[in-house]
Amino acid sequence: MIREPVVVVFMLGLITALATGLGAIPFAFVRAVSGRTIAWANALASGLMLGASFGLVVEGTKYGGAQTLAGGALGVLFILLTQRALQGRDVRFGSATGQSAREMAMIVIVMTVHSAAEGIAVGAAFAGGPTLAVLVTAAIALHNVPEGLAITAVLRPRGASVAKSAAWSIFSSLPQPLLAVPAFLFVDAFRPALPYAMGFAAGAMVFMVFEELLPEAYEEGSRARVGLLTSLAVVAMILFQAYLG
Amino acid sequence: MNPTFTVLLYSSIAAGVAALGAISPRGRPGLPASWIGWSNALAAGLMLGAAFMLAANVEQAPLALAGGALVGILFTHWTHAVTGTSDLDLNQLDEVDPTYGYRIMLTGTLHSASEGVAIGAAMYLDLLFGISMAVAIAVHNVPEAAIQSAILRSRGVTSRDAAGLAVAVNLSQVLLAVVTFAVLTAAPELLPWAAGFAVGALINLVLVELLPESYKQAGSTSIAVVTFVAMGMVAVVRWLVAP
Repeated sequence: MIREPVVVVFMLGLITALATGLGAIPFAFVRAVSGRTIAWANALASGLMLGASFGLVVEGTKYGGAQTLAGGALGVLFILLTQRALQGRDVRFGSATGQSAREMAMIVIVMTVHSAAEGIAVGAAFAGGPTLAVLVTAAIALHNVPEGLAITAVLRPRGASVAKSAAWSIFSSLPQPLLAVPAFLFVDAFRPALPYAMGFAAGAMVFMVFEELLPEAYEEGSRARVGLLTSLAVVAMILFQAYLG
Repeated sequence: MNPTFTVLLYSSIAAGVAALGAISPRGRPGLPASWIGWSNALAAGLMLGAAFMLAANVEQAPLALAGGALVGILFTHWTHAVTGTSDLDLNQLDEVDPTYGYRIMLTGTLHSASEGVAIGAAMYLDLLFGISMAVAIAVHNVPEAAIQSAILRSRGVTSRDAAGLAVAVNLSQVLLAVVTFAVLTAAPELLPWAAGFAVGALINLVLVELLPESYKQAGSTSIAVVTFVAMGMVAVVRWLVAP
């Protein structure tokens, strides 16, 4: 049994990252990838991301409302700048190129940035003692599964295999163990950054949903169905988080 | 002031403000397409912000909140299907079918009924929160009425009649706000269900009625910016009214 707390924090953070890969599994059972699959997958990802952002904002405002809002604005700015950076380039993502490759790169970047915020939250929570640490790990690990689902919902219909989608899902959560350790060691220095980080993550996700995922979903599917699936996913994610938080 | 009267007063103001939407800019009948898109996005962001704010206030009863939200989502989905408005283009300026106008008004009336539940539930939680909810809904009624008036005026309706119709469509908001408040006063245990209903209905209305059209009328980046800023505005209003 390893007794060094820093190692424990890192290992627990790694477990939560691996759990993200589980989100890819449901897509192993989806055979054909048609326009309608893209619409539904986008709607599902949109709902899960909107629900997750809601949870982040609620949590962030406990530390500071204005800071969370400022973080959100920075998150939007970050997406706009990243898009500008990707725009002129010949982006390749696996075998995909052009618009799909840009979208795939965007979802991985957005979700990676978002789990950085969660990593800080995990590290700060670990400072509260071992029982809390185990509880938080179990909660975050479970909570990561639908996030892996959201990433796979974007990657899989654009040509990535289920295994690759799972790998990218795990990759997107690697900031969790990496940032949990410094946040645990220097909890007092990191705590003021929490509302900014959570607002930033929420802003980036919400913006990505409204700018890319939803418009594409409406193009490929009927708006009544897209609306139904997205709103059900929002509510499911809020319920899920209420029982884990 | 008697709390029920406060609910009546503020929900009436929210409905009355819709008349402002009938005043067309620079005397022109109608709005350019991109403005209609941004108006839709503004209304969408305000509604989503209001829904999230309401959900955050009844977090302690997640199961009832989710149950109510499910009912709200299915209710709006079902009313769209029954009234044949699931795939109706709500912003058409040159439709010749005479039933189009009626269907627009019917959709608008059902839409504002759900918003009335949101105001009533928020008022019951805390009058100041309810007032900030009414302010958010009032502001969002203006662009909504502007779109409706643009449609009506392109069919020869005078701006005074368009203003009257805009308020009439929103009367269900006043009715449902007062009824929701009264029911919750009598049966407080229904609060998370009522709030959940409003949350689910508002989210689904945004996704089915407001956003799909907006993307056709303006670029997706500007729509996303307007929606996001409007959501932030709700948070700021809430903070200003009751810090």
